[in-house]
Amino acid sequence: MSLAPLLRKIFLVDLLKGLKVTLKYQAPKEIVTEQYPLERPAIAERFRGQPRMNVNPETGEPLCIACGLCALACPEKLITVGSERNPETKKKELTAFSYDISRCMFCGLCEEACPSDALELSQDFEMATYSRDELLLNRERLEKGPEPTEYKR
Amino acid sequence: MSESKFYETQWQETGKTFLDSSELVLNMGPQHPSTHGVLRVILKLDGEKVLGTDCVIGYLHRGVEKIAENRTYVQFNPYVDRMDYVAAVSNGLGYCEAVEKLLGVEAPDRANYIRVILTELNRLASHQVWLGTHALDIGALTPLFYCFRDREEILKIFEKYCGARLTTHAFRIGGCQYEIYEGFAKEVLDYCDFVLPKIDEYEELLTTNRIWVERTKGVGVLTGAECIALGATGPVLRGSGVKWDLRKAQPYAAYDKFEFDIPIGKNGDTYDRYLVRIQEMRQSVRILRQAASGIPEGPIIAKVPKVLRPPAGEVYHSIEAPKGELGYFIVSDGSTQPYRVRVRPPSFVNLQALDKMVRGWLVADVVAVIGTLDIVLGEVDR
Amino acid sequence: MDALTNYLHSSVTPGEAGDLLWATIYVILVVTAISLAVLSMNWLERKILAHIQIRYGPMRVGPHGLLQPFADAIKLLVKEDIIPEGADKLVFWLAPVAVVMTAFTTFLVVPFGRTHAVTDINIGILFMLGISSLSVLSIIMGGWASNSHYPLMGALRSSAQMVSYEVPMAMAIVCAILMSSLKTGTGTLSMIGIVESQAAQGRWFIFSFFPLGFLAFAIFAIAMIAETNRAPFDLPEAESELVAGFHTEYSGFRWSLFFLAEYAGMLAVSSIAVTMWLGGWLRPFSGTLNGKTWDLAFSFLPALTVFVLAGGCLLGALRMPKHPSFKIQTAGLAGFGLVLGAVGLVLLAPGVRERVQDMYWFAVKVAVFMYLYIWYRGTFPRYRFDQLMKIGWKVLLPLSLAVLILTALVGIRQELATALMGVLR
Repeated sequence: MSLAPLLRKIFLVDLLKGLKVTLKYQAPKEIVTEQYPLERPAIAERFRGQPRMNVNPETGEPLCIACGLCALACPEKLITVGSERNPETKKKELTAFSYDISRCMFCGLCEEACPSDALELSQDFEMATYSRDELLLNRERLEKGPEPTEYKR
Repeated sequence: MSESKFYETQWQETGKTFLDSSELVLNMGPQHPSTHGVLRVILKLDGEKVLGTDCVIGYLHRGVEKIAENRTYVQFNPYVDRMDYVAAVSNGLGYCEAVEKLLGVEAPDRANYIRVILTELNRLASHQVWLGTHALDIGALTPLFYCFRDREEILKIFEKYCGARLTTHAFRIGGCQYEIYEGFAKEVLDYCDFVLPKIDEYEELLTTNRIWVERTKGVGVLTGAECIALGATGPVLRGSGVKWDLRKAQPYAAYDKFEFDIPIGKNGDTYDRYLVRIQEMRQSVRILRQAASGIPEGPIIAKVPKVLRPPAGEVYHSIEAPKGELGYFIVSDGSTQPYRVRVRPPSFVNLQALDKMVRGWLVADVVAVIGTLDIVLGEVDR
Repeated sequence: MDALTNYLHSSVTPGEAGDLLWATIYVILVVTAISLAVLSMNWLERKILAHIQIRYGPMRVGPHGLLQPFADAIKLLVKEDIIPEGADKLVFWLAPVAVVMTAFTTFLVVPFGRTHAVTDINIGILFMLGISSLSVLSIIMGGWASNSHYPLMGALRSSAQMVSYEVPMAMAIVCAILMSSLKTGTGTLSMIGIVESQAAQGRWFIFSFFPLGFLAFAIFAIAMIAETNRAPFDLPEAESELVAGFHTEYSGFRWSLFFLAEYAGMLAVSSIAVTMWLGGWLRPFSGTLNGKTWDLAFSFLPALTVFVLAGGCLLGALRMPKHPSFKIQTAGLAGFGLVLGAVGLVLLAPGVRERVQDMYWFAVKVAVFMYLYIWYRGTFPRYRFDQLMKIGWKVLLPLSLAVLILTALVGIRQELATALMGVLR
């Protein structure tokens, strides 16, 4: 072996290089941990989180036109749209809507399929509940939207 | 899950105990810190030397291919992300391109550039996970955290682009659904500048480290001919000296527009595969720089009918996923749902090489070899 | 009463003075100190390893995780005591007890200062090496009694590793003992005697016959890591290997005894290294920078260190999150900082200053070794078992033999020279 590699081997240069890297990262400013739940992560706008049904902000009427395209698009068939035809306007009106997030994969196909921006996946990811029944969201729950838990203690 | 033939060993029939025989059957069970998922490896040992192995897989089988027969082509797209969940974007790319081949549509240029950028970011992320977990198995506790910190930036870009970090569902049949957001190209270029010194750091920690070299040099050797005979692809094949990369051999999705090298190894051992993957990370950064600085204008999705009814026929399309050749064989019978989707997972085929690589070596090397094959059980079992 | 306070003016250890009462008090103090040191090592290891891995480590159990070791201890104490079926009950019970007893017995001769040791046997270092070899027996007992082949394989591996690295360790120690005979003419195996000969020669042995002293120290430093089963030689207890080590079947209190013995062993071999090569309780530059003013300046260092720690605590208390659920933690940390400040003030008092010097420097040097242990764990991968044995037998043993022979030759160079002159003439 030529001289330089031999010296590097004897003086453990490679081990010292590794030690130098780990020494550098021991400074507390290098830590990247987010102390959740005190520090919440910054969520992107397109994040596919908990679904939400939008209502018209002025009139309070649902934007959903009960077309059922979201139920057709869902790979897991977990959306059911209940509708009745309004005899006066001859249009379908939404009665019941259920969304089962226990089976949902948050793929976003329902959001893409909706023609009226009614069904939207919000940025809420804290969907844990205490019982399975609460995971079946009905229309009122969806219209209320995400309710992130405030931590007191 | 089949029972292995190794269980029909002498002491169950003659009533002797394990101390009487010179062979020991050890179960590196489904729950194990080093098997990268639920892989069961039954080892036949003589003291510490491995005499033979038997892999039992299927603990993560979810019937993805069967599910495909009951979903439309568009509906099946989110499911493919869940196979190789570490590198979900590549899975989506392979599937979308296979269906596009079946339909005979071509994604527009802008979509292809976006696809290349996301796939190369995805390759970086997958290799970072591989490096972290492989180093952890061999005993180095810290590269894992450094790799995950760097991968966090990639996942943030994914989140901003398509809304999810891991199961991205980034592409659609015909192109991309989402237009790139404001500042996408700049963030990708910033990430390239950010990650190159970090790759140098990983190398400083490991490449010349004598403990690392001793643990990986000469371990798990696979010659080029053996690789080809077993069907191993990806860095496993390239580490053995065979210069075969689908991005150059059968270019897809705008890869023919970029300049990059294919790193190959010499000896086909674990150390060479490690070097190949590190070099691949650098080449990915090279591709990213070229792609992000020249995204063409234009539509991002081709004209594809709302209800997809591909003509009857079959197609096989494969891409260079971070782990190897990921192939999709789709048989269509003219209806809206595929008749059969068969996925050729690279990890599944590479895993067959485990027995050959490990015979005659020690138990500690089994862990190193499983790490170097870079298997993800979601892909092996589907 | 006189008999009690009589000892306080003596200049020897209680064992040498024959004072049984003070010897017992010292034994209790040493055991308490070791236990506290192990507890703080637990916290330090988790925090420092976490910082190397760019994360925080324990933060919730007490401010900055300071109460984590206590929480772990309580958890281990109240855990269910599981004994595997078919295990040899007596040996199963005996193994952790034996390993803890050997680990603590080695501290009988460790000198924290000229008078701050339990006793000073004139074969001190031999005693320490012998007792730590007994711990190998208890490891084998633990592995065997578990009646399962994983612990058995782990115990055999572990004991093979420890036994094979004891040889280079002993060779390196012999080098240091040789050096202790230089100026005075009579070498000594007693721990206090070795430190005093370093004081007499005005130079720590690590700098003697450069680079021989340094090489002997380096060999010992590597061998001691292998002896205590720590990274990069921790294959027997590695989590990502098949065999989880000899303490697989031990849970709860018994496991905590093994854990205690491991850290006490680390402290013991670090103490040996510090005593042999780094001058024990001597302060740096005691030979060159001596004189009243330098002594005074150095005597303020213990108090300064404690003040820095107190300041760190108070700073941490200021930077705690302002959320209401953190009120108790902030108050606790601030209180702890104030207590440390009070201790620092006590250390400033003139009488206390001089007495504390020895212990302080000894503790600082051992603390540096503990930090190195944790740093190595975070940086290096693990050696495979055959590579580990190869290093022990094929690299360290010849090297330590060579260093020993060269040290001996250099030590008697004058006699050799005169002998050669006589032969040549």
